[in-house]
Amino acid sequence: MSIVPKETIEVIAQSIGISNLSADAALALAPDVEYRMREIMQEAVKCMRHSRRTVLTADDVDSALKLKNVEPIYGFASGGPLRFRKAIGHKDLFYLEDKDIDIKDVIDAPLPKAPLDTAVLCHWLAIEGVQPAIPENAPVQVISAPSDGKIQQQKDDKLPVDIKLPVRHVLSRELQLYFEKITELAVRNSESILFKEALVSLATDSGLHPLVPYFTCFIADEVSRGLNDLPLLLALMRVVRSLLLNAHINIEPYLHQLMPAVVTCIVAKRLGKRLSDNHWELREFAANLVASICRRFGQVYTTLQTRLTKQLVNAFLNPSHSLPTHYGAIQGLSALGSNLVRLLILPNLEQYVRLLEPEMLLEQQKNKMKRYEAWHVYGALLRACGQFVHNRFKILPPLHSSGRTLMRTGARVITSGANKRKMTSENSDHLRSSKRTAIDGPITAVAPSSLQEVTTNSTLRVDSSAVPSPSSGPTPSNNGAVVGVESEAEDRDGGASTTASNSSRLNPRLSTTIEHIWKDDFDSGNLLVTLSELFGSHWKKRIMKSVLETHDECISYSMNLMISRRASLRSWASHGWTPQLAH
Amino acid sequence: MEEEGIEKLVMNYLKKKGFKQAELAFQEELQQQSQPNSTSNSLSDPDIAKLVLSFNESESGPPSYHEGYSKLRSWAYSSLDLYKHELLRVLYPVFAHCFMDLISLGYLQEARAFFNSFRDDHVMMHGGDLMKLESVLSPSHLEEMEFAHYLRHTKANIKMCQYSYDLLLQYLQKTQLTTMLGIINEHINFKVSPGQPRSISDDVGVDILFTAEDANQISAKEIQWGLLEDSLEDRLEKAGTSLFEPERADGENKEPDVDESKKKSTEGSKQNASVKKSKKDKTVGSGGKAMLPEVNTVCVAPRVKPELTLPVMSAEVEQSILEDLRNRVQLTSTALPSVSFYTFINTHNKLNCSSISQDGSLVAGGFSDSSVKVWDMAKAGQQTATSGMQGENDTSNGELGMGTNNRKRSYTLLQGHSGPVHSTTFSPLGDFILSSSADSTIRLWSTKLNTNLVCYKGHNYPVWDVKFSPVGHYFASSSHDRTARVWSMDRIQPLRIMAGHLSDVDCVQWHPNCNYIATGSSDKTVRMWDVSSGECVRIFIGHRSMILSLAISPEGRYMASGDEDGTIMLWDLATGRCLTPLMGHTSCVWTLSFSCEGSLLASGSADCSVKLWDVTRSTKLPRSEEKSGSTSRLRSLKTLPTKSTPVYTLQFSRRNLLFAAGSLSKIG
Repeated sequence: MSIVPKETIEVIAQSIGISNLSADAALALAPDVEYRMREIMQEAVKCMRHSRRTVLTADDVDSALKLKNVEPIYGFASGGPLRFRKAIGHKDLFYLEDKDIDIKDVIDAPLPKAPLDTAVLCHWLAIEGVQPAIPENAPVQVISAPSDGKIQQQKDDKLPVDIKLPVRHVLSRELQLYFEKITELAVRNSESILFKEALVSLATDSGLHPLVPYFTCFIADEVSRGLNDLPLLLALMRVVRSLLLNAHINIEPYLHQLMPAVVTCIVAKRLGKRLSDNHWELREFAANLVASICRRFGQVYTTLQTRLTKQLVNAFLNPSHSLPTHYGAIQGLSALGSNLVRLLILPNLEQYVRLLEPEMLLEQQKNKMKRYEAWHVYGALLRACGQFVHNRFKILPPLHSSGRTLMRTGARVITSGANKRKMTSENSDHLRSSKRTAIDGPITAVAPSSLQEVTTNSTLRVDSSAVPSPSSGPTPSNNGAVVGVESEAEDRDGGASTTASNSSRLNPRLSTTIEHIWKDDFDSGNLLVTLSELFGSHWKKRIMKSVLETHDECISYSMNLMISRRASLRSWASHGWTPQLAH
Repeated sequence: MEEEGIEKLVMNYLKKKGFKQAELAFQEELQQQSQPNSTSNSLSDPDIAKLVLSFNESESGPPSYHEGYSKLRSWAYSSLDLYKHELLRVLYPVFAHCFMDLISLGYLQEARAFFNSFRDDHVMMHGGDLMKLESVLSPSHLEEMEFAHYLRHTKANIKMCQYSYDLLLQYLQKTQLTTMLGIINEHINFKVSPGQPRSISDDVGVDILFTAEDANQISAKEIQWGLLEDSLEDRLEKAGTSLFEPERADGENKEPDVDESKKKSTEGSKQNASVKKSKKDKTVGSGGKAMLPEVNTVCVAPRVKPELTLPVMSAEVEQSILEDLRNRVQLTSTALPSVSFYTFINTHNKLNCSSISQDGSLVAGGFSDSSVKVWDMAKAGQQTATSGMQGENDTSNGELGMGTNNRKRSYTLLQGHSGPVHSTTFSPLGDFILSSSADSTIRLWSTKLNTNLVCYKGHNYPVWDVKFSPVGHYFASSSHDRTARVWSMDRIQPLRIMAGHLSDVDCVQWHPNCNYIATGSSDKTVRMWDVSSGECVRIFIGHRSMILSLAISPEGRYMASGDEDGTIMLWDLATGRCLTPLMGHTSCVWTLSFSCEGSLLASGSADCSVKLWDVTRSTKLPRSEEKSGSTSRLRSLKTLPTKSTPVYTLQFSRRNLLFAAGSLSKIG
């Protein structure tokens, strides 16, 4: 009947030394105990209210006990909230976690800092009913119709009539100036240091919320107007990023206005005036922007990601769209996460590559520009798939709890991978610059040298990490998962044996663990093989031709990208093309 | 056989009731009768037998309560819509008494089962009461617990129309729910009114009617809510508007440059400067217009004679108040006040209360470590003007560290209490502070000497609230011991003790004319007491949880009360009725304050916001309008959210600048 069972009473009685408490007495006591407890809690709630709090603390219970002339319970007065643990096997039983603390630790610990003393600060919460946008005030909510926009007229019969006036939004002079200055900078002078300062200010200032609708409007307008002005677009995207970074701004209500502009910068048919404009970079920047928006507002704005994905997939799968559009769509999808790559790109990969192939070949596509674009798209695809595979591998090691050694080697592999990536990024920077010269300047003069560099680079990498063992030779016809496993395991073996002297002992275990992992993830094995097939076969052809091609740096760029992925990626890359390179 | 049955029943009955003599007599008589002729007795009416049987059955225990109540309930729910709400109102008292009857008869198990099966019906309206009732677990608790005791010994008043009443009685008699009938007869006092049932909207005021005295009867007493004769406001008006206008024009001319310098000076809160700022009244025209009716209403308000001997005001003070009144900004629904916010930082959850002096220059905080700390904001403003510059770049760190950077403490520490301080109040001139504590004492401190002057002992339990009267000298306190007391500064014994609340008296407030005080209590009522006689003159019923804050409008006509759930109710003191509930806050309303001309009400809440309400519109609306829910939205003029700072206190200065204070609480 009572929430306090009689067993509890018996236990309490025993704990205070009454061993022969009769069952009847316990039964009679139980309801009274509940009543007293409720009474104390009622008083405790009063004490809480009179301390202007909304959370009950141990102090409140203590003062309630004092009110009832009961000795307070000692030992719970520490400030922090109490942590209750659920007792295993009981539904409604909780206990307080009471950790053992070593006295030594307490003694050795440095003295805690003295708490800061109480102080009073003063600020304007409102000036004539309007809240100034200062850091002390809560960030202004979405701008709604100010109350004075609604004027109530008292007619003769005293019936109040609501008249809704158009919302008048008051902007202070300073804010107006600020807005004008920033927009002017973005449009005219986006390379200046001042603009960089402006971006920092946009990302940190707390009082900018009133300007957000104006900024979104401005960005949307300028993007639609200035599609062939690449620096402007880039500047605008930077402004978007800064606004997103600003913690004081609640940008969510304006996303619907911002998103079209940003998505345009990803998948637009043409961006920039000249063919040489590096719109690829802009697309990538915008894609990352969109991904960050999705990560931040995905929860609140649930349809955001689905709508965006739909848009991107449409752009990707429609063959009538231009290649840059495809490039943007692929970048966007891969930025949104490896899951999307798996679900949306991989199933269509084979078909798509088939379509793309003729565009990339010299004999079938005479337009140099088109070919160049096709290679870019190809690079993006490679990168998306590579990233996906990389992510797959990244989550694998922790799955394995027993293999400590594996973890260690895994860590080593990763660090080396990181180094490699750094190298390649430098390398690719170099490549990019060389690419620019290659296109603008005399091609033949530059190409060989850069190519040479690339080949040495890549061979170097191949030597250092992925020494191809005979079994992992050019056997693209094998398409079982086991092959993938083998090649993978052996590749790792090879890497390990070249770097670590005592790794031979580890090897069997390593391979078995990896096998185990691969069995866990059968899909990935299959996938890897299909990928290697798909790209590998093209790669062979491409390698043959590319030596003679003018766009070689493009390929090597992609190659490098591939190489730069972790050991896993290297494995399938080597699987496909390294032997050829060695020929 | 039937006869025997009846005899047995009668025997049982007598036994049970302990009528031993009667039992013996009955037995004797029975024996006598059984010998000669048993036929004469068999005349007994079968109806009577039935009735007796049913009576016995109904006495037989818990099932009758459960069944009876569930029947009554289903009947009430399926009754005609027009009368339904009236009939439903009967259910709650019946429910409560059924439960208590069961408890008192010792059927604890059954009582709990009964309670649990029907509690959901009443949770919404009477959640708090149910919690209390639920804890009753033995007959002795019924006697002990105030609430149950009170329910048992008073009658609930229920108003209903003639027809519903007839319906109810008919039903009960027809179905022979004698248990229910008994409870209803015993514990409910019906006020049958002829004609149509009352509209649902009236329910607000007459919701919980377990009042000891008849609230209406009390409310029939006359209350003189007018302002005092010969007040400063009057004198100001008599002195003529001629003085007023040039002053005002001067202020207008001066203000722009003052304004500029003000903005630069780190928002230092020197009252003079800030008031000048707030005086910036862009809509001169509208301000002037709004003034006219305001003046009228002040004239309309009746004047009353003071019942207390009032302290004499010095000429200088008078002069400064007059000056303030002349410079007052007129606030209306379109001209909102400026709000200066004092944020307590690094309080470590220890700040229990705060108060701000009339001119905003002093801020006091009462802490749970028994100390009272007083900040002089005028001085603090000067200090921060120099050190605040580097703090501006790095707001969070710079400002938080500021208190410690100064080698001297930035506040005056007043120590003396031996328990958490629950309330502080400034005298009207700011030269004294009163603090009330859980150690059941009230202490008087001087802000000039920074020492304790007097300790007032009288309450037996924690003193929850203390308030200086508007003229100073007198003060009122309220306590856990269910009394409110009125004191004067020069006596250590209370002058009056107001007893009558059924639970803790949580807050207290003076009427502007000093003849009355209002008290809010955990028993969910607000009472108004005559200070000179100590009598209760009004009971305001309608809140659904503990009352935390009270404010009375400056013209003395309206009162606002805020409760634990975030509801604010506006009352007309003359009639004792609720004008309108103001909904909007989502958590405890810690503080309420009327603007000086009474046109705006400001409320501060634990939901980290200050809300401004339009009083004039709230009060003028005819009752019929209120049914449409949209109007309550209109009454809220503005919500000013703070940055995770619950608002502990609000105070309009004489010039209508609103001061607010709260303690910054860490999120999460």
